[in-house]
Amino acid sequence: MGRTVQYHRAALRRHDPGLWLAAGLVGLSLLALAAILSVLAQQALQAFAPTPVAQLRWRGDGGEQQLLAAVVTQDAHALVVRGSEWQRRGAEYRRIARADLRQIDWPADARSLRLRDGREIYLRGDSAAQAPDGSRLAAAEIVEDVASNRLGRTEATGLMLRRAWDFVSGAAQGGGVFPALVGTVVLVLLMSVLVMPLGVLLALWLHEYAGSGRGARILRAAMANLAGVPAVIYGLFGLVLFVNDIGGGLDALLQSATPRWGGGGLLWSALTLALLTLPVVVIATEEGLARVPASLRHGALALGATRAEMLWRVVLPVARPALLTALILAVARAAGEVAPLMLVGAVKYAPALPLDGEFPYLHLSRQFMHLGQSVYDLALAGGDVPRDMAQAHAAALLLLVVVVGLNAAAIVARNRLRERARELAV
Amino acid sequence: MSTRDEDIGASVMPPDLLAGRDLALEARALCLEYSERRALDAVNLQVPRRQVTALIGPSGCGKSSLLRCFNRLNDEIAGCRVSGEVRVLGLDAYAPATALPELRRRVGMVFQKPNPFPQSVADNVAFGLRLAGLRSRLEIDDRVEAALRAAGLWDEVRDRLDDSALRLSAGQQQRLVIARALAVEPEVLLMDEPASMLDPISTLRFEELVVALRERYSVLLVTHNMQQAARVADYTAFMQGGRLLEFDATDRIFTNPRLRGTEDYITGRMRETRG
Repeated sequence: MGRTVQYHRAALRRHDPGLWLAAGLVGLSLLALAAILSVLAQQALQAFAPTPVAQLRWRGDGGEQQLLAAVVTQDAHALVVRGSEWQRRGAEYRRIARADLRQIDWPADARSLRLRDGREIYLRGDSAAQAPDGSRLAAAEIVEDVASNRLGRTEATGLMLRRAWDFVSGAAQGGGVFPALVGTVVLVLLMSVLVMPLGVLLALWLHEYAGSGRGARILRAAMANLAGVPAVIYGLFGLVLFVNDIGGGLDALLQSATPRWGGGGLLWSALTLALLTLPVVVIATEEGLARVPASLRHGALALGATRAEMLWRVVLPVARPALLTALILAVARAAGEVAPLMLVGAVKYAPALPLDGEFPYLHLSRQFMHLGQSVYDLALAGGDVPRDMAQAHAAALLLLVVVVGLNAAAIVARNRLRERARELAV
Repeated sequence: MSTRDEDIGASVMPPDLLAGRDLALEARALCLEYSERRALDAVNLQVPRRQVTALIGPSGCGKSSLLRCFNRLNDEIAGCRVSGEVRVLGLDAYAPATALPELRRRVGMVFQKPNPFPQSVADNVAFGLRLAGLRSRLEIDDRVEAALRAAGLWDEVRDRLDDSALRLSAGQQQRLVIARALAVEPEVLLMDEPASMLDPISTLRFEELVVALRERYSVLLVTHNMQQAARVADYTAFMQGGRLLEFDATDRIFTNPRLRGTEDYITGRMRETRG
């Protein structure tokens, strides 16, 4: 530690341009990350922040009109408001020019009701909600009743946090993103379980057994090129190979009446992602293997170890941090991919989670939801743009948090290993 | 082979030097080539059992290459070709039927730089035992202790068996890897400049250890240190330019070498005689 600090101090004194360049670039990328996160968070907050309710009077096409409505956005020229959604969600947006506005009040007794299906109703005083056609809302329909204009800062924050939690945990109107969150995490974990053994075995074969033979050269070139193939091509490949050929073949073999494996599913998606990340894992693992000193290899061989025993007992344990680096790179690449998944198993609405309490707990053939797909669907849904866009940002933020969280876990594990290796190297 | 080569081959060793002794290692007309360079040129060497034999000679003369032929560690080097005959305890080491793990279990090796595995002291010594299929904890513990005692390290590490081997000093590490090699009870020990990284006191301890080892093991020791060879070795071989030039009892090599080159090297009047 002390030596590192000394080194850095010395480097600072030397005005080493490389150091400044590196520090600048690191700072720039951290700044970019912070900017992305803050933009996402700011946009996402709008999905959960309580909107103030106004009593409006303005000059419309057919003379003067008035309305109790939530003010969604406002600028110097116009307001966008949302009236009570008696008919359907997103149907009552209105744009009112400031020039037409006669009066705007923020009544203290205004209430906004949120219904089970996501609609919002605004009213004043203690009166029960009554639709224009005279029908009344059943109390069971109402999931939230807030005095919008009387909320203190703590109450507003509490409300926001509760809504955000409902959105993440799936209790929110319209289901929330919980199924997508579960789908994403399960998919990435399953992908890791599939790609690591395969990638490490391939790297071991390439680095320890193949030498510079023809097969190894071809495989290396293939790996280098595969790393540059667009992700959606992997999706097509997975659709043809896994879903149609293998899945269809399995269905034929099992003689199932309905296609079970012959459709998109969790396993096929995980396998597709595993193929996608295989080059990364192989290349990173090979680098790790190359760093294991020859003296340790020779020491093991000289004691009568076979090549396999040497690899298993000495080389792989020493290379463990490199394996975790490979895993980190693979997770980072896989967690953000959406395009290939749409072809091999991710769907907008899945009837059941891929992981539940029913035997066999992990349902490999089920379709699943994915946060990336949720972002895509919400952003392009088109029905209730202000609310959907805000939710798309919230889902995107959550996806980033999941990716960063998974990576952080792997990085912590690697640093522990490195620390242990350093202790060993004292 | 030219007549000159045969002359050298014949004059390498006094005729009756090893008469009546069992041989641990034997090389006949051994040639070794790396991809472009010939490292060993028709080497003949006989290493007697339960004696210490030292290999001396200038850097790059092929001592280490020769050493690594006896446990076939040269197989690890790409582009390395060996011809001639290598016998280990009477068996042809390069015969197709030779099982390398078996061969290497009978021929232990200690490297120039201590190379303990990043594991505990005990696990390091037990490494070869576990490879050999030993499973019983008690037996492993016993043999670890015996090996550490034989290497003169037991008293220093008996309370640190679970510590990392990399925390030991360089001298201790070198004795640890010797213990590691001894644990599998080999019959031959190859040592490749094992004391070159040690301080004088560790070197002294190491030399005492080598002398003690000759009770049970046949030792072939590569060294750059003339005094060391003189102190520990029963026999000494002098190599130069990939050839083994002279082999004799140590006291005779150091007091009355037959070749001018040997004498020059030993007395430090080394000249470039290869070309």
